[in-house]
Amino acid sequence: MDNLQRFIHQVRHRIVAVLVVNNLLIFADWWVMEKLIGADPIRLLLSMVAISLLSLTFLPWLSARYLAQPTKLIWQAILHIAPDAANVPAPNLKKRTIGHDLVMNLVSHVYQLASVVETIEKTEANKQPDLQSDFVANSLPVPLLVLDKNQNVLFANRSTCEYLQRTAAEIIGQNVYSVLDMSFGTEETFDKWLVKSKQSSAVETKLWERVRLTVEGEDTQRQFDLAAYFNAENPQGFETMLVLFDRTAAYGRDDQGLGFIEMAVHELRTPVTLLRGYIDIFEEELDGKLDPELRGYLHKMNITAEGLTAFINNVLNVARVENDQLTLKLHEEQWSEIVKTVINDFGLRAKIQGITIEATIAKGLPTVGVDRVSIYEVLGNLLDNAIKYSGDSKKIIIRSALNKEGLIETTVQDYGAGIPTSIIGNLFDKYYRSHRSRAQVGGTGLGLYLSKAIIGAHGGRIWVNSHEGQGSTFGFTILPYAKLADEKKNGDNNDIIRGAHGWIKNHSLYSR
Amino acid sequence: MDPQDTPNTNRRVLIVEDEHFISELYVRALTKAGYEVTTEVDGARGLALAQTDKFDIILLDLMVPTMTGIDVLHHLRGPGAPALRAKIVITTNLEQREETRDNIEKQADAYLVKAEITPRELVQFLGTIR
Repeated sequence: MDNLQRFIHQVRHRIVAVLVVNNLLIFADWWVMEKLIGADPIRLLLSMVAISLLSLTFLPWLSARYLAQPTKLIWQAILHIAPDAANVPAPNLKKRTIGHDLVMNLVSHVYQLASVVETIEKTEANKQPDLQSDFVANSLPVPLLVLDKNQNVLFANRSTCEYLQRTAAEIIGQNVYSVLDMSFGTEETFDKWLVKSKQSSAVETKLWERVRLTVEGEDTQRQFDLAAYFNAENPQGFETMLVLFDRTAAYGRDDQGLGFIEMAVHELRTPVTLLRGYIDIFEEELDGKLDPELRGYLHKMNITAEGLTAFINNVLNVARVENDQLTLKLHEEQWSEIVKTVINDFGLRAKIQGITIEATIAKGLPTVGVDRVSIYEVLGNLLDNAIKYSGDSKKIIIRSALNKEGLIETTVQDYGAGIPTSIIGNLFDKYYRSHRSRAQVGGTGLGLYLSKAIIGAHGGRIWVNSHEGQGSTFGFTILPYAKLADEKKNGDNNDIIRGAHGWIKNHSLYSR
Repeated sequence: MDPQDTPNTNRRVLIVEDEHFISELYVRALTKAGYEVTTEVDGARGLALAQTDKFDIILLDLMVPTMTGIDVLHHLRGPGAPALRAKIVITTNLEQREETRDNIEKQADAYLVKAEITPRELVQFLGTIR
């Protein structure tokens, strides 16, 4: 017989017992009143009503309590394990309880269910989110890593494994710095950023360009852009996420300078370096041993080689103008110093042709905002032209002064053949040279074109005045440094970066 | 002047340069000025030499075999690299894009375009970067 049947049986027995007790009580009452006392029928009836009332009150109360016991115990058991119920004690199962076995059975089932729920809860709570099987993260074609609070890798997607040529097991759980051997071009490296973010932010993002990565067993480094996202309060403990955008091919090409122009410039510069080196030796060793004519030729050879260097730079820079790569860094400079440097450098060349360069620089000029190397090229180009086109005249005059508009105006005047009116309008165009000058002097026709681009990027203006037979005057303006101040406020460093279209300095640190 | 009397005596220079004629010119000028010069054509071997920390100046070309000058520089001056006493002077004829050059200049002590200086000017310049 199963527990339920036994319980029903027990209940039936108890009900029968209660009915028997009730009847016995009434019978006993009748017997006592009738036989022993011999009461009259009215009193007998009254006592029987009283007994009935008493048993109707007491017996149902007693049996209800007794029969409800199993329900109460099960109720207790359920409330005992219910999460939001008040402190209900565990049910106390006595052997005498009605339906003991059934209650035992049901209560044990309740507790079993509770423990199953608890186990499920615990398992869920302890379970790490399974990113490894996550379709989105794994099908992402770029390496993605997730780090915990201790910089250990919680997750690395399939692309990461391929990129690093390691298995997921070799990556996950490892410290990120042992997984990624990265080096940065900037001061703020990933680890510094992360430390800073942990100290001061809840959420932070950053992007690095040209991060280098050494992969074990590979000679060449990987190069990539790195995006990092930091969230201190991520509920799943995904504190930092890293995404790597591989740029090895593109940056590698940049580093190698394999653009055609860069390559050509490199190839041209090597023989020029050598020529200048050998000429240098001859000048050093033969100084004082050569007759003046030969020494003059040696000087000219040196100047020619120097001119070739400048020409190569011009070619490169024109290419840059064309490619919209103009970036000038304007610094505060003393204008008179720059002019003197250029005059000093071109003095020798002028002297060889018997030309003297006179300079009139107004006193107390304000400081200027210029890119020193580039502005040197402008002055150099103008002075070089003046020397080339001086013809039989022996004087060049440089003047610098503040003009009416408060700009620094500089002119380079020669007393040579001058420029025909018909071609003056085209002078600053690329490749333009007059038919006449082509026969007499060298040059590429790039110098004035570049000068115009550079002066334009400085915020100035360049022009020419010329009269045939009387010579030419080239002039340009540049801005005082104070006038650039507003622009400077917007910059985040001391340089004012100017980008119009395409000028990159040549990068000699050597101050000539 | 006797090289022994020059202020550059015992200053050691490492030239990492694969163009033989150029390093020949530099060796001549530097030796005359009293420097003790070591040359290396290979980037990786140049790095190994530089890491011995026996040099006062390292002239580093960027386009050298097996390991580029940029990588050599990065190993010498990148994050975590041990400090070297040598000054590193990049000597190159390669034009760099602005940002690459900025990064190089942050790690190197100087950046020279070889075509723009003569060997004697190089010596003069090295004298200024003690």
